[in-house]
Amino acid sequence: VKFATLTAASLVISGCTYAVGASAQGTKTISEWDIQTQPASAKIIQDALTRFEKANPGYKAERAQIPNDAYKTKLKIAFGANEPPCVFTNWGGGSLREYVKAGQVVDLTSYLAKDTAFKERFIPTAFDATTIQGKVYGLPGENTAAAVIYYNTELFAKNGLTPPTTWPELLKVVEAFKAKGIAPFALANKAKWPGSMYFMYLVDRIGGPEVFRKAATRAPGGSFADPAFIEAGRKLQELVKAGAFAQGFNGLDYDVGASRRLMYADKAAMQLMGTWESSSMVNENPSFVKKVDFVPFPAVPGGKGQAGDIVGSVGNNFYSVSSACKAPEAAYKMIKTMVDDASVQARLDDKRMVPIKGLQVSDPTMRRVMKLVADAPTVQNWYDQELPPQLAELHKDTVQSLLGLSITPEEAAQKMEALAAQLLR
Amino acid sequence: MNTHATAAALPVASRRHRSGRALAPALFLAPAVALLGMFLVYPLLQSFRLSLLEWNGLGENSVFVGLANWAVLAKDALFWHALGNNLLLGLFSVLIQLPIAMALALLLDKAGRGSRTLKILYFLPLLFSSVALGVIFKNIYDPNFGPVNAALQALGLPALAQDWLGDRRYALAAVTAVICWQNVPFYMILFLAGLASFPSDLREAATLDGASDSTIFWRIRLPHLQGTVRTAAMLAVIGSLRYFDLIYVMTGGGPEGASELMATYMYRTVFSSFQLGYGSTVASVMFLVVSLIAALGMRLTRRFETEV
Repeated sequence: VKFATLTAASLVISGCTYAVGASAQGTKTISEWDIQTQPASAKIIQDALTRFEKANPGYKAERAQIPNDAYKTKLKIAFGANEPPCVFTNWGGGSLREYVKAGQVVDLTSYLAKDTAFKERFIPTAFDATTIQGKVYGLPGENTAAAVIYYNTELFAKNGLTPPTTWPELLKVVEAFKAKGIAPFALANKAKWPGSMYFMYLVDRIGGPEVFRKAATRAPGGSFADPAFIEAGRKLQELVKAGAFAQGFNGLDYDVGASRRLMYADKAAMQLMGTWESSSMVNENPSFVKKVDFVPFPAVPGGKGQAGDIVGSVGNNFYSVSSACKAPEAAYKMIKTMVDDASVQARLDDKRMVPIKGLQVSDPTMRRVMKLVADAPTVQNWYDQELPPQLAELHKDTVQSLLGLSITPEEAAQKMEALAAQLLR
Repeated sequence: MNTHATAAALPVASRRHRSGRALAPALFLAPAVALLGMFLVYPLLQSFRLSLLEWNGLGENSVFVGLANWAVLAKDALFWHALGNNLLLGLFSVLIQLPIAMALALLLDKAGRGSRTLKILYFLPLLFSSVALGVIFKNIYDPNFGPVNAALQALGLPALAQDWLGDRRYALAAVTAVICWQNVPFYMILFLAGLASFPSDLREAATLDGASDSTIFWRIRLPHLQGTVRTAAMLAVIGSLRYFDLIYVMTGGGPEGASELMATYMYRTVFSSFQLGYGSTVASVMFLVVSLIAALGMRLTRRFETEV
């Protein structure tokens, strides 16, 4: 109790100072919250806000950069207290839907309809994550990411192995590395979302992208107890039983680099992770980057999903305007400036790809990621971002339990379906 | 008889002065009462009110559901598991922290002034930030790189090298060890202060009567410290029931809820699942449990006091 109320109290207090700051100035203040705390990415937003202020005299941008996890808590409390910032970063999907349901986010559909040239710049799937019941609530802002299998080329060559393209090949590779005393996969699943990537891919490969879409939208015949979810759970446990994951996987912390460290030390050969991992590796261990490459998740023979489907995010972070904002028109101009050509180019120089058509990517790794996403028949957004928060939490819990071999795939599927039936009416 | 007489006389005297004298105490009390009301009573009542709602914590779309959240909680296996973990943590905190703290305090007390450096050294764990400590111990426990398993393997005991934080069976114990390590100095200081107030002539008299060191400790010094020990035990139990930080940093309550505590469960329901109503129910029950146990504890200690 105390923890929550204290945080709430301190936020209310900081909220008050914001308001005072706004009225003390003669100009109108537009508050903006984001999670870009790295110097390079922070500067991109700062520059965009400066451009916005120059182009819109009388408006002043007031920015707050907040680290990722703290941001999620702070944003929720700010909205709960009805003191949200004008412009805020989000991840689209389920958590954005909660704010939309509460009527706290500005519907941008009409703005974009008047602004077709601007809207057409983005690739078509770019608005999927922020489109709720046919209305658009956010602009894709930061990056394009896909989950891929990173692998250590040296370890593969040394052991005469090639990266797997099918599930049976993957099992053989797992067996071969296991026999050599090398962990086939590095996985740091304390936060539970890294393990979810395996499950999402397996569901897609086995049942195709429609299975999840139908279950999540409660379309006729859609169910989280669909055989595809059960089979995915079975295959995941098959991997665990084959010893595919480095010791301690359910307790290792991705945020402190526990999985990458296994890769760097040649103790693990592969890792399924989002393509943001490339820039982490470049920053942490430049010499290791030379011997790492990536392949898409393998195909499952007999499955309905296409091998080209990817799990990932087009946009990664999105920028939205809150309904509490007194100047929504100006706020819309602000988020437009945050993804204008100058911002897009600056992000590209920082190795991040805003999902824009015909993006001129020179870095070969990034070009491959972009091609992977552009060629993908479907891009499945992360389940934990897409689902309503409570169901997302259960999804992560059940996948961690599947990995811990403490529940059966059937039980996991039934739990998900029971809560989905209750929440998604 | 004397006391009865004053008790009877008192109301008359105070009644006469009430109007004039009541204002000053009221004014002096007002700031404290206002602060307590604002930061203690109001949030408590508020979180009870929230526990009657089904609400994601946003906007106006809350639904009054009466005691439905409480009914769900009564059957929520995850919550009861968390409560059980809190009780285990409390039990082990008392059983591990207090004896070690007592032993250290006795040794430091015996060493006297020469032990200043040691005192500071032993006190250090308490000064660390829990978050930093959690990150450090996450690395120490790391099954692939951590020194704990490396040492066990070097000693020829690879069978004891476990997956400390990732295995359901060990996660809670592994974090409990760190919690104890961090908190022992606190009780050590408490006991040290208690020992310092022990009159040296008592010990001299006992020694003259031929009492051994252990007799002096068990028969004289420990009874002398009784109040301090009871306070320490109460603090340890209540602290364990409300515990949050190291568990949150080191395991997040996992794996699979194995080290979940009431506070981490509450945090998860409110901030990850967006269930503000249900999370408030967890918080309210947590408050009731802590108050109940604290009240019981105080009652018990009071009874002991009258008996001794």
